[in-house]
Amino acid sequence: MSAIIESLPVSEIGERLRIAREAAGLTQAAAAEKIDVARTTIVAIERGQRRIKTNELQGLCSLYGTSANAILRQEAVHLDMVPRFRKLAQSADDAAEQAACLLNDLVSAEVELENALGIKRTRNYPPERPILPGDVRQQAEQDAQDLRDWMGLGAGPVLDIVSLLDLQLGIRVYVRPLDGKISGLFAYDEAVGACMLLNAAHPVGRIIQTGAHELGHFNSARRQPEVLTEGEVPHSREERYADHFGRCFVTPARAVRQRFAEITAGQSHLTRRHIILLASAFGVAREAIVRRLEELGLTKRGTWDWFQANGGITDEQARQVLGELPVRGSSLLEAQGAVPPRLALLAREAWKRGFYSEGQLARLLKLDRHEVRELLDGAENEESEANELVKLPY
Amino acid sequence: MSLSSFLTKAPRTIVIDASVVINLNATDCAAEILGAVPSPFAVTDNVRAELRFGSRNGHNDEERLKALVDAGAVGGAALDAAGLAIYETLISGSAAMTLDDGEAATIACAVQMNGIAMIDERKARKICASRFGSLPVVSTAELLTDGFTEAALGRQRQIEAIIAALQGARMRVPPEHIEKVVGLIGASNAASCLSLPRTARAAS
Repeated sequence: MSAIIESLPVSEIGERLRIAREAAGLTQAAAAEKIDVARTTIVAIERGQRRIKTNELQGLCSLYGTSANAILRQEAVHLDMVPRFRKLAQSADDAAEQAACLLNDLVSAEVELENALGIKRTRNYPPERPILPGDVRQQAEQDAQDLRDWMGLGAGPVLDIVSLLDLQLGIRVYVRPLDGKISGLFAYDEAVGACMLLNAAHPVGRIIQTGAHELGHFNSARRQPEVLTEGEVPHSREERYADHFGRCFVTPARAVRQRFAEITAGQSHLTRRHIILLASAFGVAREAIVRRLEELGLTKRGTWDWFQANGGITDEQARQVLGELPVRGSSLLEAQGAVPPRLALLAREAWKRGFYSEGQLARLLKLDRHEVRELLDGAENEESEANELVKLPY
Repeated sequence: MSLSSFLTKAPRTIVIDASVVINLNATDCAAEILGAVPSPFAVTDNVRAELRFGSRNGHNDEERLKALVDAGAVGGAALDAAGLAIYETLISGSAAMTLDDGEAATIACAVQMNGIAMIDERKARKICASRFGSLPVVSTAELLTDGFTEAALGRQRQIEAIIAALQGARMRVPPEHIEKVVGLIGASNAASCLSLPRTARAAS
């Protein structure tokens, strides 16, 4: 005999269980088998037509890789991003699935902690610009320039795309190490807004490019989730738009022409040094800047391939030209911790205030107890250190 | 409540939480410590499941707990209908009023068995105090600083075990036991234990 769970509406519990099951990629039949009931019982539970018993809930949570508290906690945020990504034909592999799960988990955790702490995130989204008939590249170029203007970027480089997207537009951006095949993901959910996950394992120039590419999706078709994979050839109009938008946003034609003219003034050939300086100026990969020069007619088509066939352009050569430069983009430097820095701060605050226990935070952040303790170390000290001088004005 | 003074009155089952298992494992002499206490120890399946999750990061807490169970140092504990009802009240509701499954099951089981909950997590201890006033709640720090542990390990190994739990597992020490812990390990050792409050570490 098992008691019956009551506090949340039964329909809400059912919906959360459905989302958890689908995120785990399991069928109702598999769930039914686990707790030894008929499939129709799972259907009834998920539709909110039957209250789930505690022992059944424990069985399902164990199968779905979640906790009963995560299902029954009022503030818990349950997003169904994973099944939406799974529907994308090109991303139907383990690496994309794992990245989608990670994005889903990060967003759910961050939104739940924000809600618990009473934090309202400001959105400052530009109006969506659907892709229109005609030359998609022309539209992408125009839209990228318009967005730059709207954001007041002028002709300057975009060296910290995470801060730009996060602080200026209010997009949730996470930079985490992912499988090398995955460059980034974009998703939009009415409740939580636009979210991006960028691969921290990629070079900074590539991360910037990926962020700009995903910004193209956000600009043109934000309700469509998207996975950008390494070396992906853009076939659809949407992908061609995002691909070109990304390049134009990060390396705007006028700015590139201007910088190119300055750097090559009075010289007869494009050299490795020029390319290294231009790539550094715009914070993009050397290949990306050469392809852009080719596209703008500033150098002949095939220039990059020629350099590649003749020894390439090495990191050592770049060091000789630029010296040992620190990685630019403060947000990208902070990407290596167990959880993103802002999420870590929210978790510490929620723990300090006694809203969440170590166990709840471990589950929410998908960490083990050792990692959570590391994350929380010193949080108590912050309280004891607090005085009026360092009090925040809100 | 001092563990030894409580135990000398009437041994009751001590239900241990994941946080306690992790701390004990860090001492490298968990079996000796548990064996020194006259009361039996028990752990719930929820806690075992929680520890299993940590194994993906190379932590072998679940494996070491299994060894303790196999050796008879810790027994299993399951929730009955009454325990499940308590468990439900601890997992269902607002975040501030609920706990994760392992913490909730530990408390529910201790109440159900009329035993003792051994749990370090401060929110869990607070909830215990407000909702289960008659439930004795003790911490790993109490166990490690107790006379039973000293008798089993000797003073020097006892100190080493406490330092190992603090440094290796970042053991949390309830405020009321900090003085005793620092008194035992000494201020210079306390200074290098980051899980202790700054005031305790700055005393050196």
